[in-house]
Amino acid sequence: MSLEWHNAWQALTHHPLFGIGITLGAYQLAMAAYERTRWVFLQPVLVSMLTVIGILLICGLGFTEYKRSVEALTLLLGPATVALAVPLFLNLRRIRQLFWPILITLIVAGTLATALGAGLAWLFGAEQLMLKSMAPKSVTSPIAMLVADQIGGIAALAAVFVMITGVIGAIVGPSVLRLCRVHHPAAVGLALGISAHAVGTARALQESDECGAFAALAMSLMGVITAVLLPLVFVLLL
Amino acid sequence: MLLRGLSWLVLCQLLGTVLNALLLPMLPGPIIGMLLLFVFLLVRGEVGEPLSVASSSLLKYLPLILVPPAVGVMAYASDIAEDFWAVVGALVLSLLISLAFAGWLMQRLIDRQQRREEV
Repeated sequence: MSLEWHNAWQALTHHPLFGIGITLGAYQLAMAAYERTRWVFLQPVLVSMLTVIGILLICGLGFTEYKRSVEALTLLLGPATVALAVPLFLNLRRIRQLFWPILITLIVAGTLATALGAGLAWLFGAEQLMLKSMAPKSVTSPIAMLVADQIGGIAALAAVFVMITGVIGAIVGPSVLRLCRVHHPAAVGLALGISAHAVGTARALQESDECGAFAALAMSLMGVITAVLLPLVFVLLL
Repeated sequence: MLLRGLSWLVLCQLLGTVLNALLLPMLPGPIIGMLLLFVFLLVRGEVGEPLSVASSSLLKYLPLILVPPAVGVMAYASDIAEDFWAVVGALVLSLLISLAFAGWLMQRLIDRQQRREEV
């Protein structure tokens, strides 16, 4: 009798759809938890990731098998990145009004965010692989993962660093900005979007619509600039 | 509608992949695709219905698409544990400094532009 149970368990956990099943389930649970509580710590990606890892560990499955099973889902990451061009285009009018302030802040502060992250990690003695995965930490995860992969880091690590950065930025960001006497919605939004990407943008939307629009703008521009320039910088430096 | 928009997105990415292989090895294919689509929208001047439907539905599920790559961290748990404090310290410090600096700089630049417009 116990033998049959074992076989059924094996058939279930090694089915090609098992990975997709637990991912969909974990995501919906995480979304429901986030929508009910609106608690910044409960970022859906973070919670789903922890849930899926927990299930995989309990079932004794490795990442390689899981990765093969969710390939259909991962394949959509490319078209989703392409789709980011649409919100960017829709925000063009706002860019024109504050063109120079946005451009200067974006370039100076964006460079600072990236260089400071990698520089401090180097100073604290982190490994090369870690540095390369950390460099794109301030941009939204699909771009960060692509860029990390391109410059020789690990996409999964980049995603984790992006998440940590975003969640901390969303939690402390508004209070830090208030302390620095930053009050214009465009300035608050831009700062949150540059340093804390999508999570920061979600937080900025809670402040006001204008603040959110600038955060979304900063996030997409920061993503494009990082995607274009960071691999170039690495090719030139190394 | 959704399918036609999706086809556009896939087409842009495939073109991006071709360009990546031919001319621009340092830029990822999807990023080139995004730039191509952006230029296309600039030339056209508006976002068509199919493209708008496809991009908003895809971006709505972006967090879900990001879950599998994020799970990949379980394969690198020991690497992170080794450099834990260096990593966390660098992340938190650089975030706080760059966040405050970005806000301060933008606020200064906006104030300056507004003063100039009043004069």
